[in-house]
Amino acid sequence: MAETPEGILLELRPAGVCARFYAFMLDWFIRLALIYVVGMLAAFLQGIGLAFWIVFIFALEWFYPVIFELSPSGATPGKRAFGLKVVMDTGLPVTPAASVARNLLRVADFLPFLFGFASVSMLLRRDCKRLGDIAAATLVVHEPRAAKRITLDNVPPIPPMRALAPEDQAAVIALASRAPTLTEERLDELAALAASVSGDAGREGAEVTRRVLGVAQFVLGRRA
Amino acid sequence: MTPLSFEQRYQDEWVELEMLLDRAIGRNTGQASLSFEPVSGARVAALYRRACEHLALARSRSYPAYMVDRLERLTASAHQLIYHRREFGLDRLKQLACADFPRAVRAHKRYVAVAAATFLLPTVIIGVLVYRRPELILSVVSSDTAASFQEMYSPTAASIGRTRSASTDWMMFGIYIRNNIGVAFQCFAGGLFGGLGSLFFLAYNGVFSGALAGYLTERGLSSTFFSFVVTHSAFELTAAVLSGAAGLRIGHALLAPGRFTRRHALVLATRDTAVIIYGVVGMLLVAAAIEAFWSSAPWLPHAVKYGVAAACWVSVLGYLTLQGRRAG
Repeated sequence: MAETPEGILLELRPAGVCARFYAFMLDWFIRLALIYVVGMLAAFLQGIGLAFWIVFIFALEWFYPVIFELSPSGATPGKRAFGLKVVMDTGLPVTPAASVARNLLRVADFLPFLFGFASVSMLLRRDCKRLGDIAAATLVVHEPRAAKRITLDNVPPIPPMRALAPEDQAAVIALASRAPTLTEERLDELAALAASVSGDAGREGAEVTRRVLGVAQFVLGRRA
Repeated sequence: MTPLSFEQRYQDEWVELEMLLDRAIGRNTGQASLSFEPVSGARVAALYRRACEHLALARSRSYPAYMVDRLERLTASAHQLIYHRREFGLDRLKQLACADFPRAVRAHKRYVAVAAATFLLPTVIIGVLVYRRPELILSVVSSDTAASFQEMYSPTAASIGRTRSASTDWMMFGIYIRNNIGVAFQCFAGGLFGGLGSLFFLAYNGVFSGALAGYLTERGLSSTFFSFVVTHSAFELTAAVLSGAAGLRIGHALLAPGRFTRRHALVLATRDTAVIIYGVVGMLLVAAAIEAFWSSAPWLPHAVKYGVAAACWVSVLGYLTLQGRRAG
């Protein structure tokens, strides 16, 4: 969580070891491919080409992440592919200084072997930072994904059979938004728990579910 | 007010803000009507504040997840745009070279002194030891390496300071950049281990250069060797010492954070030293260029090389101690 000057809490979801490992491997393959392709071109040019190739490898090794992290997307191609992004602790785009620092400090993260310190640090911390992230005050987060609109067009709205507290309303609406992702049996089970809102307490089945979702329609503001 | 009527009432504002954001970031919206009129900052700020209010309302009234989500994404991307600090451009670079870098170095002069001592003491001690007893070189490098160094710096070599396999100046430029910046970055990153890593890498490189200098001097190759290293070392050694100093600052912040929490002290130290690292990268690029195109040329008389080297050393040290003292 990061607070903005407007008093709004922005939710940041730190990315775990697995997602970051996949992203790193993908980036690694991309870099390898780039080195190979440029190497082929360099071989034609001999001297100056080889020099360019070595400088290129070097630049790729240290500045590939920096350049991509400072671009508008804030992520290397690998990270973007897995929906990750580098931001500051405040939720703002990463600054050049922070990006350089976190990427140079990767050397320390790599020790004692194969990102040993990075893995330990990431597994121990709730925000899953490696040493470079801690020092640079950066965070790797999941890019928020758009939640689907609630589509219950075929359910007629029903007025609730009892007064609903705000939490009750929220629970019914949340159930309605999850409805398309649940199996029918599970949806019936969950709806049975909330059956009192439509005056069906103690009963269960497709018809009850339909009526509970109808209450959700009503609470959302739809009227028959 | 029900969620749907809330959405209906304010949706136009959200859509407008989404559109303005897309245009400001330059994201391709997929629409043909890409207008190039500038985005009004005041309008974005006003809509952003409204969206913040709506998000707060939607959260406290437990409106459906999709709506809260939409407002969250909207405010998050507007927040990123509005509070984004721009640190690019030539002006920033000029400011960095003319004032910030030398000032940052002077602000860390104690660390620089420690780093310099950590590097220079082993260099001198090992240098003298190896000069007295050349067989000691074998405890630093293998005999093959020693032989190849001797060959590299022999006065009859076509060009100095390189193995025969690497043919062109350009190629060596690449190799030097890779090695030197790698060493400097190690000295920096080693700071995360309480500064021990920085001290180790500094001392290790000191031992190595000392051993090499002592060995080659003893073999009577001192004039080729010193005329080769003296010019670019003004940039290269200084840069290595400076990045070591930056590492030490980080290590010190971890060991003795003072009134900050350890983590906060680390963040502050990293931010302060980033300026030094920018400068170090610049210096190492200069060093590699000199090393590849100037130092290795065998046809330049030694007197010229020493003269230029003296000028380089004076200007580097003068730059670091004097530049950017005046004016805000």
